[in-house]
Parts: sequence; C-alpha cells; structure tokens
Amino acid sequence: MMAPRSVFGMVNASEVLDWLSAEELLEIEDGFPEDGDLFAAGLDSMAVMQLVVLAEEKYGVVLGPADINRENLATAQALAELICRKQS
Amino acid sequence: MNPEPVAYDVAVVGGGSAGLAAAVTAARLGARTILLERYGFLGGMGTASLVHTFCGLYLQGEVGNPVLANSGFAEEMARRMIAATGLGPIRMGRVEVLPQHPVEFVNIADELVANEPHLTVRFHSEVVSVKRENSLWSFGLAGRGGSEFLNAKALVDASGDAVVADFLECETEMTHAPRLQRPAYVFGIQGVVGFDDAMRLRIAGTVVEGIRCGQLSKATLGLSFRASGRAGEIFGTIDLTGGEDTANYDPLDAACLGQLELSGRRIASDAIRYLKENADHWSHAYVSHWPVRAGVRESRRWMGEYVLTGDDIRQSRRFEDEIALAAWPMEFRENAKGPKLKFPMDQKPAGIPLRCLKPKGMDGIFVAGRCISADHEAHASIRVMGTCFATGEAAGKAAAGFAKNDASKF
Repeated sequence: MMAPRSVFGMVNASEVLDWLSAEELLEIEDGFPEDGDLFAAGLDSMAVMQLVVLAEEKYGVVLGPADINRENLATAQALAELICRKQS
Repeated sequence: MNPEPVAYDVAVVGGGSAGLAAAVTAARLGARTILLERYGFLGGMGTASLVHTFCGLYLQGEVGNPVLANSGFAEEMARRMIAATGLGPIRMGRVEVLPQHPVEFVNIADELVANEPHLTVRFHSEVVSVKRENSLWSFGLAGRGGSEFLNAKALVDASGDAVVADFLECETEMTHAPRLQRPAYVFGIQGVVGFDDAMRLRIAGTVVEGIRCGQLSKATLGLSFRASGRAGEIFGTIDLTGGEDTANYDPLDAACLGQLELSGRRIASDAIRYLKENADHWSHAYVSHWPVRAGVRESRRWMGEYVLTGDDIRQSRRFEDEIALAAWPMEFRENAKGPKLKFPMDQKPAGIPLRCLKPKGMDGIFVAGRCISADHEAHASIRVMGTCFATGEAAGKAAAGFAKNDASKF
C-alpha cells in the first residue's frame, strides 16, 4: 500500500487536472479551468471507475458509492476537496 | 412466387445499417436488388449487438442545437427513429447522439424493405463465395437447406468485415491488437427502479467496491449502464479486452469471437448478481436480453482507390467526389479507460470520397459501412452507424447506376 499523498501536503485542483490528464482519464487542453465541468469535457462512468481505482493508488483514499456523485466529481476543485476530505 | 431473375441488378452483402441503406436506395432507383443477411432481422450492430445510439448523425459544434451532417437516408432513419422512440438527440459529454432502440430499428428496417417492390431480402443466408462469371458476379449462399448460387451485375460489400475482398483475394488491411479497437458486449437488464445519471455514478462506485473486495473481476471496469428509453429497461455495455490475452484478439477468428461471447456473458452475469445484492434499487434486477453477438468495432477493410486517413479527418479535408460527411470524431477504444475522442482541428467534418467505396482495379463492386477504404484512425470516425447510413446510400446509388450501365455518372 502506498503512503497517502497528503503526508506531504494537500492536493489541489491543478494537480488533479494534471493527474486526470496524465492517466488519460480525460482529454483536456492546457488552461482547462479548475471549475470547468469534467462531465461536459467527456468524463463518463467508465472513466469514473478508473478514477476511483487510481485515486486509491495515488492518494490512498477509498471512495465508495456514496462519494461518487456529480457534486463531488463535476469539477477538479470538487474532486480535490473530496480527496483532501477523505485523507484527513 | 415469382421465379428468381437470371441476374439481379444489385446484390448487397450484409444487412446492417450500411447494407440496409444501400439495398433500399438501389431498389428505390429501380434496380432489382437482393439483400443478403445472415440473421433473421436487419440492423447489424444496432440490432444483433444491441448498440443503442446512432453516432455520426450530427455535426459537431453547436451545443444543444444538433444539425444533421448527412441528408437522405441518414436523415430518414433519424426521423423514423425519433418518431418510434419519442426521444430526440442528446449530448453525451462532448458529442451529440441519437438514442436508438434495437427493437424499433428492426421494425423500421422491416417497414422500409416491405415498401420496396424491387427489393428481395434473404434472411438466414450467409454469403460463402464470390466470383466473376460471364460478366456477372456469382455468389454462393449457404443456409440450412444447403447452398445455392445467384448472380448480380453489381455487388455492395456491406459485410463489415470485407468478406467479398477476401473471396476475391483483393487487397485489404487490418490493424492488429492491441491497437485494434476493443469489442463491446451489450446486454439488456430489467427490474431496476429509477435508473438515472446519479444512479449510474453510484453504481460505478459499487462496481469498484466489488472489484476491491475480490467479488468481481478487473474486467468489470469496462462496464457501464444506460437507460434504454423504455420503462424499467437498461442496457449494460462492457468494453471487452478482446480475450484474456489482448494481443491475440482477432475479430475474424470464430474461436476468438466465441471466447468473447463467453467472457461478455460471464462478466455481465457476475456484475448483475453482485449489484442485486449490493446496490439500492437493484434487488430485482435481471439480465433480460443477450445480444446475438458481441459488437465488433473494427476488423478487415478494403483498400480502395483512395484511403481516407486520420489526417484527412483532423484537417476536415473535403473532396470533389465526396459522397458523405464524416461527422463523428475519431473515437478510440483501445483500453478500458473509456473512449478517447480526437476531434478535427476546427470541429468541421471531413468529406468521404466515392473513391473510398471503390476497390482498386475492380468494376461493379462498391463498399459501404465500416469496411470502406480508410486507415485505422479515419476508420475510428467513419465506422459509426450514422455515417454507415450515408456511405450505404452512396454505395447503393453507385451500384444501381453501374447496373444500369450508366457508368458516366459514377
């Protein structure tokens, strides 16, 4: 099990965007806003499943069905907040 | 019953979206046409494989104001499907699609062919040979009653797998795994109450939990759900890896396809069993419908007078002899992280030249649908049903014209 990323500091929205992009979960151009709608940008339920798996590997957070909703996933900001909340 | 004519004007191999369009179009132009279909209904991927959206019908760009890319048969199918389902185009992420129901597709196809006196549809008939004989195309049909040979002046290969090219030993191309597009396994589900977008996301979380605790296989990560538009009915879609060993996926190998069917059913059954026990509102869920076959996205293609390329799509290239517009982005499904969409640089469609429908050095054969002449990248755009209607229509028109010996127009 990898150490949670939060040991070294909080996760921010721009880092989340880079991560989504690097993992090819979403194709977003440079300068995609931190409050931009990830679903409108193409995030679908299959990518969400990958995201949950990868979030566990990278940030050490376990996201359950109750966490997986539009409110928590619609923007990079919301997602960063969710990850931080789960880490603490 | 009328005796079979000595030779049909046009024979269409394969009754999927492209073959249906080709056959109906040729018949409407007065060509005596026969449509050869191996199953008991038409529609191909959209019926036998339960693919439930028409992609490629609409231009990209305008959000919330979808404009049809191709008039003619594609437009007619869109209109008929909207009337049948009561559902209009919807936005899915960055693209506009038209939800379609496989059962309605079968009905619409039946109606379309019943209206054409010049069209004969032969179900349960697999084309097993093609050769040139006395300036005609002679093709062998196999059914349970044995085999027979028929003739036609012009042929349309709408088989999806370029089977005619194989029989004639013509030049073809096939991208190999792992770049080859992954197949989809679509199945019907009933008994779920209140399925909506919120539930779709929650279920994604439940599936990951199932994988985490070892009750579901990792392959279940390729599974997603969508409401069918009919009360209480959902479709599950699994993006399969193409077998345990991705590198050996071959959509032309029956043994390999058989393994796909088995793994599709296994993944689906396990997932529904798990969700019944672990997801709210899924306790009465059941698999109501298996597909006739797994949905192959990509296989063998003809090499034509022109090979449409990914660069043509990216640069929205237009052609003097174009017969349709490729409005769908290049959609790659090479892994289980969801589709990767590559859009043209200025969001405009590329043209598809008639030369992509004409095999090199071969008269009287026209290609339609996903096996037209294109490279792997361009294929990722032109393979969708909305575009297949348009290339099918063009192939039907060209074949009817050829049969009438009106070669000057084509």
